[in-house]
Amino acid sequence: MNWKLPFDIPLVTPTMGIPMEFYDALGVIVFVVHISFIYVLIGASTASVIYNIFGAITGNKTYDKLAYKMTNPTTISENMGALWGVAPLLVISVLYTGFFYTAIIKVSPHILHIVYGNIFAFLLSYAYKFSWHALENSKGFHIAIGVVAVLTFYTLPPVFMSMSNLYLQPETFSYVQSIWDIMLTPLTGFRLLNFFLTAFAFSGVFMIWYGMRLQKEGDVEVGELAVNQGKKWFLFATPVNVAILPLILFVFSPRIAEGLMGTIFIVLPFVASIVLFALYLYLLKRWNQDSFSPKEVLSAVTLMLVSVLLMATARHGIRVVSFEEPLALQAKATESYMNASLEEYKRYKENLKNAPQKDLNDPAVLADEKGCMGCHAIDEVLVGPSFKSVAAKYAKKEEFVSSILQGSEGKWGEVPMPIQDVTQEQANKLGDWILSHK
Amino acid sequence: MFDYPIFEMPVIGQRMLMAINAIIHIYVSHGGAVGGSVVLALLAIWAHKRGDLAAYKMTFKILMVFFIISTSVGALTGIGMWIHANILSPNAIGGLIRVFFWKWFTEWIVFNFEVVLLLMWFMTWKKNEATVESRAKSNRLGVYYAIASWLTMVIITAILAFMLTPNFDGQPWVDPEVFPGKVDYNNALFNPTWGPSLAFRTFSAIAFAASLAIMWTWIIGTFSSNQEDKDAKPRIIKFLATIMVVTVPLSVIFGYWYLSIIPESALSMIPTAMMTREFEDKFSTMYMIVIGIGVVVLLSTLIAYFAPKRMPYIAASAMVIAFLVFWGYEERVREFIRKPYIIYNYMYSNGIRPTDVPYLNKVGVLKHATFIEDANKILAPDGSNQINVGHSIYLIECRICHTDNGINGLKSLTKGWSQQAIEARLNNLPGGGTPYMPPFVGTQEEKKALAAYIHSLNVQGELK
Repeated sequence: MNWKLPFDIPLVTPTMGIPMEFYDALGVIVFVVHISFIYVLIGASTASVIYNIFGAITGNKTYDKLAYKMTNPTTISENMGALWGVAPLLVISVLYTGFFYTAIIKVSPHILHIVYGNIFAFLLSYAYKFSWHALENSKGFHIAIGVVAVLTFYTLPPVFMSMSNLYLQPETFSYVQSIWDIMLTPLTGFRLLNFFLTAFAFSGVFMIWYGMRLQKEGDVEVGELAVNQGKKWFLFATPVNVAILPLILFVFSPRIAEGLMGTIFIVLPFVASIVLFALYLYLLKRWNQDSFSPKEVLSAVTLMLVSVLLMATARHGIRVVSFEEPLALQAKATESYMNASLEEYKRYKENLKNAPQKDLNDPAVLADEKGCMGCHAIDEVLVGPSFKSVAAKYAKKEEFVSSILQGSEGKWGEVPMPIQDVTQEQANKLGDWILSHK
Repeated sequence: MFDYPIFEMPVIGQRMLMAINAIIHIYVSHGGAVGGSVVLALLAIWAHKRGDLAAYKMTFKILMVFFIISTSVGALTGIGMWIHANILSPNAIGGLIRVFFWKWFTEWIVFNFEVVLLLMWFMTWKKNEATVESRAKSNRLGVYYAIASWLTMVIITAILAFMLTPNFDGQPWVDPEVFPGKVDYNNALFNPTWGPSLAFRTFSAIAFAASLAIMWTWIIGTFSSNQEDKDAKPRIIKFLATIMVVTVPLSVIFGYWYLSIIPESALSMIPTAMMTREFEDKFSTMYMIVIGIGVVVLLSTLIAYFAPKRMPYIAASAMVIAFLVFWGYEERVREFIRKPYIIYNYMYSNGIRPTDVPYLNKVGVLKHATFIEDANKILAPDGSNQINVGHSIYLIECRICHTDNGINGLKSLTKGWSQQAIEARLNNLPGGGTPYMPPFVGTQEEKKALAAYIHSLNVQGELK
């Protein structure tokens, strides 16, 4: 296979002697925290807008209250989600520098949507939250703000997932030219479908937990609605997800999918799917129940998190399998480049040391050393005028020397004489010499 | 550098793309998060100690503005710095992360505290407003938030200072002639400008934040329908002005200390950095700008301090604008005077290391340009693709600072130049009055190709 890879950064990786398993585990755990917040962000912001619309149509105040309550998890999860997104990227970018950075550049400038689109979505979601009471009588406008905020949040995963699919498959570097080449692939579509379904299911479980918390705090009516709705979010989103989870690893490039066969990682999505299905049955059985015991909540949350953790570990498996070959190729290429480069540099330094001392008191040597002869000759026009014609033009040395020191423009045609890096004394010496060519 | 794919930003160029993000970030991180956390925590404590409930309530309104802007614009442009750096200069940011991984990781942990404490402080404020005890509890959250905020600045300042002054004499952070480079993490961290730049940033950020808070107090106090807010306005402005009276002189003192440690070759570029090449030895104009900013800050501070009630909006906004200009300049200057390096003495702005130069001069900079197609990097025997090859070199060596025909465009910079003149100019780099430009790197053929490409920008097209 033909690979196109950048060199590795020629500085030691700061693993501090800690075994790589630590970094693998760190990468997986911080990712799980990050993606959990992102799931809640997507789900809670969507739910808030939907219940706001329900409330406005039906006039049922409980929906409106639930919608308002859902803005709190939105605020927390958008902040924490962005923050915890940094940690996995930090780990990846120090261990797999070349792949990660190449992918980011390949999807530029669209990747900047992660910054500017996110700021836009954040500000709209704050506007939606903090104008809740002020816009109570202009529900249409208020809902419109929320809808635009949510839709903007929805535009972020496609961008980010394109980058992620690119860096996970370094073989794509040789042919992917823009973000669309990777976004409009079955892999990205498939993973996005899984992402959104998981986000809604996860948020459903979150709403069950949140609803029970509200009930405990005395907000019984809103809490019951949250639990009731949370179950539905999970139950509607999960069946398709259960079906597609085990397939995801097979949509990666054949090199990776085949590499995963025979490793434990290929099994994990099946297990994750079974766990989700178990949770599905568990909640289905409690279809008529709008209040859960703490133990039931704990079971639901645990099953959901286990499923997410299994998928995150499978995702790590992709890195293990996919990066083995390119990392080795990269290390080899980097070593041979750096050795050749440093050898040449040492030779250059050696030559510099052994070079005969130049007599800079000789104006001809000085002129050569300072690059004058790159543009000028004694008696022919190169880029600039010949020294003979210069000597003929200037009667006073001072005027001429100032052209050397400060540069000049417009005296000999369009090309300017740049400022020269010489001392006043050197300029005088050059001036005397050049003007002597009469 | 040559081994990564290249993203070209037309018209505004790479530098401006980064600068937009960087300037927004520094405004919000300094004025909103680091300085803002200190100022708002002090304001809340002051109002609470005086039993001034009106001022305390108004502090929340100011906090709300700071909260919204810091957590959205501030935090995301912070991540944006990384992404932009990645697009522009993967080798530089990749190197920095190899050197500073654990510091960045620590900063991320501190950042967690910062965000969580801010969320807690802000989201529980209303609940905690009720009693004296709960207000004191809330204020403690504010103090912890301010400490966490400041700690994030401590770490990131070390990294910025490292790029300008990587190490003390005789205490190298790495030996660039050894592969793989073994980094001395302590020499990298404890670099000469870390302390002074941190002190300078700390106090000027607090002063900046106080000026922003004065402006918001003015706006809220003036337009509020609530008489209590109107009455609280002058008291708060006076207190904030007191903060400025203390922090502005401290910023000046530490700013001077910072300047005194910057290497001379970098210092001499400040006028060019602030304006353009036209002003390169006009230190007097530079001083006028600095003095102008200082006078505006000083006058508006004095007005705020002595006449908080009658302070006009123009004074409040002039104060903020002066700080915006100041921070904009500070960033531009700091980024500029590092040139021609991106990591001083280790890597040029275009990502090429000085140690790579002799080798690349021998084999050509395009030899290892993995992501450039052969047709654009291997000169055809008849020279028919010379301009395309030149364009590839432009992408690698020039586009980090130049565009074709936009900001700092090569087209207008070389208007009327012959190809020979351009080539002679390339021979002379970084001489010729442009000490901030790295040398040309590559073979003679590549230099000719680049000159041909630059020359072609000013050649009219053909109708076929």
